[in-house]
Amino acid sequence: MRTNDLLFALVAFAVLTLASGYAPAVANDYLVRVLIVGCINAVLVASMAVSNGFTGVFSLGQVGFVGVGAYVAGILSLPVAAKAAYLPDLPGWLAGWSLSFLPATVIAGLVCVVLALLVGAPLMRLSGYYVSVATMGFLIIVNVVLVNADTFTRGARTFTGVPVETTLPWAAGWLVVTLFVLARLVYSPGGRAWRAVREDTIAAQAIGLDVLPTRLSAFVVGAFFAGVGGSLYGHYLGSFSPKSFYFAYTFTLISMLVIGGMQSLTGAVLGVAMVTLLSEVLRNLERGVSLGAISTPPLYGASQIVLGVVFILVMVFRPTGALGDREIPLGWLFLHGRKQATGVDQ
Amino acid sequence: MILLRRRTMLRGAALAGLAGVATATWRGRAMAAADETIKLGAPFNLTGNMASLDQPALNGAKLAAQEINATGGVLGRKIELVVYDTKSDPTVAASVGSQLLNQDKVLAAFGFTDSDYALAIGTLFQKAAVPFLTPGATSPKLPEQIGDEMFLVCFGDNVQAAAGAEFTLNTLKAKSVYLLRDSSTEYTTLLAKYFEEALVHGGGKVVKRDDYKSGDRSFSAQITKLKALSPKPQALFVSAGPDDIGLVVKQLRQAGVTLPIVGGDGYDTPLLLSVGGKGAHDVYYSTHAYMAEDSTPDIKKFYAAYKAAFNTPPENAFAALGYDTVELIVDAIKRAGVAEPAKLRDALATTQGYHGITGAISYRPGVRVPDKTVTIIGAGNNRLHLAAQVTPSWVAQP
Repeated sequence: MRTNDLLFALVAFAVLTLASGYAPAVANDYLVRVLIVGCINAVLVASMAVSNGFTGVFSLGQVGFVGVGAYVAGILSLPVAAKAAYLPDLPGWLAGWSLSFLPATVIAGLVCVVLALLVGAPLMRLSGYYVSVATMGFLIIVNVVLVNADTFTRGARTFTGVPVETTLPWAAGWLVVTLFVLARLVYSPGGRAWRAVREDTIAAQAIGLDVLPTRLSAFVVGAFFAGVGGSLYGHYLGSFSPKSFYFAYTFTLISMLVIGGMQSLTGAVLGVAMVTLLSEVLRNLERGVSLGAISTPPLYGASQIVLGVVFILVMVFRPTGALGDREIPLGWLFLHGRKQATGVDQ
Repeated sequence: MILLRRRTMLRGAALAGLAGVATATWRGRAMAAADETIKLGAPFNLTGNMASLDQPALNGAKLAAQEINATGGVLGRKIELVVYDTKSDPTVAASVGSQLLNQDKVLAAFGFTDSDYALAIGTLFQKAAVPFLTPGATSPKLPEQIGDEMFLVCFGDNVQAAAGAEFTLNTLKAKSVYLLRDSSTEYTTLLAKYFEEALVHGGGKVVKRDDYKSGDRSFSAQITKLKALSPKPQALFVSAGPDDIGLVVKQLRQAGVTLPIVGGDGYDTPLLLSVGGKGAHDVYYSTHAYMAEDSTPDIKKFYAAYKAAFNTPPENAFAALGYDTVELIVDAIKRAGVAEPAKLRDALATTQGYHGITGAISYRPGVRVPDKTVTIIGAGNNRLHLAAQVTPSWVAQP
């Protein structure tokens, strides 16, 4: 069974990577860019779903980890010459070398894991609104630290010179890895513990689940992939500043998560796809369209208004989001755990 | 059955969406082949937190394009601005950059008043070897960070800080200065650094430094420390952004601090007078142009034309910078004699003494930040006046 899963993931990975490798030849650069941003956002929204959706810890601090990931990976992968130019006061143990994209990304994720353990240990005792506000406090602290630690981050100034390496194969590859790992975790006994804690903490404790470690594990897993996504973001643009990782980005990701369905990994991807597609189409339409005799003047900002109305409509008519707690069946990747959970024989 | 229908609907919606993107793509291509206009990309943050600075810059650019087209265009072709809203989001700026280069096939592009967005889009233009000009991102390091396709039309912060320092030393006759800065933005931290370097070079000194953060509502801690200073400084340099300066000035004056206050183009906002009120007295700031009806003849003319076109006086100096940007590009196209990105870049790089409404623009060899005259504006008695025009003699390294 496990080999089958692994096989599927490998095949999916290979197909997606190959397909995305050839995509630039078929689609134009603009569409490729929209897809890259979509993949990065999907990694982040899926990582958010683990704590916010499956474990019921509605964190507003996820973008804090994204920022930490972007900066850690950026500092690690900045070429030595660029380090001397942009970060002259960097301590010697960081200044003399630089890593390539992949190790920098993994280390960024691991730094976020350590940070999540430290932050989560006290915060995961909280529930409901309290944990939202407390994690928002974490986001604010990260922002203030990024602005003030100018030896490492250039402070409020734009952090630039990061090699632009996030191509579509990288972004799509990380998305597959993220979804595979998260699906294995979410639809495992550990994942059922996450959901049990979400549904009823007292009942969960009564069957022997320890609430704090359970929540903390979800928070930490989410933080790892948030760090990875942050690194992808940083290496996509090549330059960013602390204000990129603040409330605006938080609310973008939350809206994608809620639209897609909070308790579904494929829902997370679907939410990103829907919001991205809609906002890109509207962004191009608001510049003014001419269809034969009918033409509209440019109405900048109309796209945000339409998006806002769509969000309201979704919340009114389908408050669980597009998928709620269901998954789009993607073969072995998701079916395996679900079938076991519902007792269907293989 | 219902399920089926819903699925069909979903599929239909997805297809319609894809078709929308595809037509947008296709439309761009078809137009590039058919028409004869010269396309200039104009990505600006028309919505979001940068909109109050970017919108006037775009309006100024539109005005310039209108005027040029009314007199027959350039090289016998009309100018077409390809405008995109980048939503104050750097990732959108990158996507728009790609659209401008690959779909609209622009000859050059210009935009933004903040370096985050200029950096995000600039790398794409550098790679495609298409010139990009920024009317208002004043970080003097920008061109060297991006490469030889990136030009500033405004002066760098090192230039305006040097002008502020010379004005403080020579006109205000102040040698000892108290320095207060907003530590939360690149612009204010760099401006303070450049000012101090130029002041020290000119023989003055900073007697005390202090920080605040954009959004602080009370500055009493800083003001108490300032009042306790002995000997007292002769002037204050407050490196602040547009959102805070009114409040800073008001609280300083309420606390009885009457020393002259000097600052940069972050003061160039109606908030200085509307929030600062009577406190905005003996306040001086460096900026790109004095936007008023009693300004230089060029600005006076621009002021009237802008008011006629947009039903509002120019909101700030970025409007004039947007205007100058388009005029400068068109001038360079004329000098290049052909609408090709490489020739245009060479023509831009050799610009000497171009007469713009925000001052003369020249690029030294290899430096794509112009040497420009800096306008110093004074505030007092609830109005602004032209205090000085300074061409700094010494400028700090970027």
